[in-house]
Amino acid sequence: MGKRVAVCAVAQIKNDPNYWHLRFQNMLHECFESIMEQTKVTFDMEKGIRTVITCSDDVFDARTISNNGVTDVVGAQFRGEEKMAQESINGLGYAMASILSGHDDVVLFMGHCKESQGESKKMVTNLAYDPFYCRPLGLDFVSADALQARAYMRKSGVTDTHLAKVVVRSRKNARKNPYARECALVDEQDVMSSPMLADPMREMHYYPDTDWAFGMLLCCEERVKEFTKKPVWISGYGSCMDSYFLGDRDLTSNFSLKNAAKRAYEKAGIKDPRKEINLFELSDHAAYQLPMWAEGVGIADEGKGGAWIDEGGMEKYNVNLSGGQLNGNPLLLGGAARAIECVLQLRGEAGDRQVKGAKKALAQAAYGGAGQHQAVVILEA
Amino acid sequence: MSLDFDRKDCFVVDGKLALPYTYFAGRMGSKFITTLRDEKKIMGVKCPVCNKVYVPPRQTCEVDMTDIRENWVELRNTGEVTNFTVIRYDDKHLPRKAPFILALIKLDGADSPFAHILEGIAPEEVKPGMRVEAVFAKATTSTILDIDHFEPARVSKVQVSEPAERTQAPAAAPRSKEEMEQDERRKAMSKKVIITAALAGAATMKNQNPAVPYTPQEFAEDAYKCWKAGAAMVHVHAREDGGMATHDHKRIKDTHDAIKEKCPDLIVNMSSAVGMGKTAEQRISQIIHVKPEMASLNTNTMNFSLVDRKSGKVFIDFVFENTFTMLQDFGKAMEEAGVKPEMELYDMGGLDNWLLISKQGFFTKPYNFNFVWGVAGGQAFRPDAFMTMKHALPEGANFTTCGVGTDQFPAITMSSLAGGHMRVGLEDNIRIPTGELAKGSYEQVEWAVKIAEIAGREVATPDEAREIMGLRKK
Repeated sequence: MGKRVAVCAVAQIKNDPNYWHLRFQNMLHECFESIMEQTKVTFDMEKGIRTVITCSDDVFDARTISNNGVTDVVGAQFRGEEKMAQESINGLGYAMASILSGHDDVVLFMGHCKESQGESKKMVTNLAYDPFYCRPLGLDFVSADALQARAYMRKSGVTDTHLAKVVVRSRKNARKNPYARECALVDEQDVMSSPMLADPMREMHYYPDTDWAFGMLLCCEERVKEFTKKPVWISGYGSCMDSYFLGDRDLTSNFSLKNAAKRAYEKAGIKDPRKEINLFELSDHAAYQLPMWAEGVGIADEGKGGAWIDEGGMEKYNVNLSGGQLNGNPLLLGGAARAIECVLQLRGEAGDRQVKGAKKALAQAAYGGAGQHQAVVILEA
Repeated sequence: MSLDFDRKDCFVVDGKLALPYTYFAGRMGSKFITTLRDEKKIMGVKCPVCNKVYVPPRQTCEVDMTDIRENWVELRNTGEVTNFTVIRYDDKHLPRKAPFILALIKLDGADSPFAHILEGIAPEEVKPGMRVEAVFAKATTSTILDIDHFEPARVSKVQVSEPAERTQAPAAAPRSKEEMEQDERRKAMSKKVIITAALAGAATMKNQNPAVPYTPQEFAEDAYKCWKAGAAMVHVHAREDGGMATHDHKRIKDTHDAIKEKCPDLIVNMSSAVGMGKTAEQRISQIIHVKPEMASLNTNTMNFSLVDRKSGKVFIDFVFENTFTMLQDFGKAMEEAGVKPEMELYDMGGLDNWLLISKQGFFTKPYNFNFVWGVAGGQAFRPDAFMTMKHALPEGANFTTCGVGTDQFPAITMSSLAGGHMRVGLEDNIRIPTGELAKGSYEQVEWAVKIAEIAGREVATPDEAREIMGLRKK
């Protein structure tokens, strides 16, 4: 185990389908003010924030160097400023690395995404593919995920009914989360009669377009008392990138997630996640991913995702009590949303969804079509 | 600050990211793409150490890091489906209208499957493991779409080994129910005739026929009468109050919108010629601004003059400029904006010009052409020239026709007999066949309806016209 990095404070706004009347700067500023208030951190060049990491995406924002649009509202002007143009959880890893390397001891980490701005999120993800072999075919994350869904469901005995259960539960859980997007409650029949989006994925199996922003303050172990009485520690982080072409991967193998989890567990000294970790927040932007990622982090047996749902695995391991990404977080920010939920749980601030005595939590993030890139963070009270 | 505040004055600004690029395909990619394009061969690369065959190709084996760039192998055009999905949504980045099948296909000779479109089979019939074969594209795009799609293999491996099966003639590729239904609908409907009224043009003035519309209101009234008489589409050049053809965006949009408001059902086809002496930018920017369902796309640079038909005396000499670059840029801009181009053919050369540019692959089917007869600078109407043009069209293309002055009615009669559509209107001719001034474009529409009756053709409604011409209602 290495040195530890503390999350001193987290802030977020409520997930919303369309904050048309808010610029993303407004959304971030709200979080920024909250972090300032919670921690009383300053921008003093000796003792305050000298490094700010932001997470945003040029294409989602329709702005080259998208961070340029927000540096002033997050206090990044005249300071070290870096942008994570990838899944937000990697920004957490980046902030952790800055602190562990001794390059800085306090880092502000902010992120935003307004999916409502663009006409088509599918077009945005189509641009993630190369212009010769994949993009002309119209491949996007929905179609890539659908291909993975079919292969995974066949392997793990996951049925349309199982997916309906995942959706129903996600929306029910989200009702207990004041920051969750407001989605209508549904029953299994509603889900199973929802139209096909890309077979075997139905429209309700896929997360809805969402606007959201967040902030986090991180610092080194030595200075944590200056900012909070209830620090949450990052004790492990791991990430892994799988092959680019869908055909080069075994879409059901969870190769990159298993690797990412293995690295995070090693760092955090976790031998059996089923026994040692009290809650799991998984980035299930499509319903099939909940059991699949559960297999990947080792809380469901390989190839048994369907049975795991039947046996109450989601409740047994406290998976996605927040509603998960399926209920609605921006794709880019699913990991930060997962980590923030873990922090609230570990601080005992998760209200009606609180897991009593939670000491260790796992946040996972997936990015790229069919979970190509995976990252796992272990957080401890 | 609160996230909830008075939103009365909140304003939302429209924007767009649209940035053309050129990408180097890479040394491996270049060979793959040019071989696919020029020789209709699909190439992979084989790792000499682990024997894995990669497609699309790359220069390093990801398993053992061996340099494999020189180790090209030719793959077969057949393979098997390993996985698939059915895309049920329409979007601008998609190569087909929904629903279509996107499959992972492992070619014979390759170890890794790659994604491609699967056609000729209903989604519920697709099974992993089924045999498929590549269908190469007629026009190249220099991408993976030089394979247009895959379809069920006509003779599968299993059938080859079973004599009983082999004696049967290979069956035509099965097509999905929806596709067959759509084809049937198109066929049935192409018997129907679309009547277009070109309400004003750029040059016909009230002193020639007082019924020529100038104001948005006059256009709307006139369009309404034409629709009542049987027209499915109107072709519009907007005018100023004084009658001059205008490129002013507001005036053009007002004219378009007035017609749509009065007559929401009707298809509005806008001119990208606008009038004499307009710049290329003035001509295309208004189309992109207004985004009508359809717009004219002119195919050749030509004389477009006023010459006295009896004496041959030149009144006004004008060169109508439509360079290849304009044909390309206007066409692309329209396709990108969702405006269906109607290709204006003033002679066979115009069609050849379009066929050349269309090799770039950006024009979407079905293609719609208009044969224009009798322009001073173009060709006069002749039945055999008409049939020659018709035979030279791409398969499945729609055509309509219009003629200037006395060419109008003979040309549309010919078209109605040859399976084409008809355009009338004061833009082309101010009279009806009796020689009297037309009371409006609508009176010519009434004549066109009579011609259709004689030719045994039913008149298409606007929605039927949309189906035939591949328009999306706005």
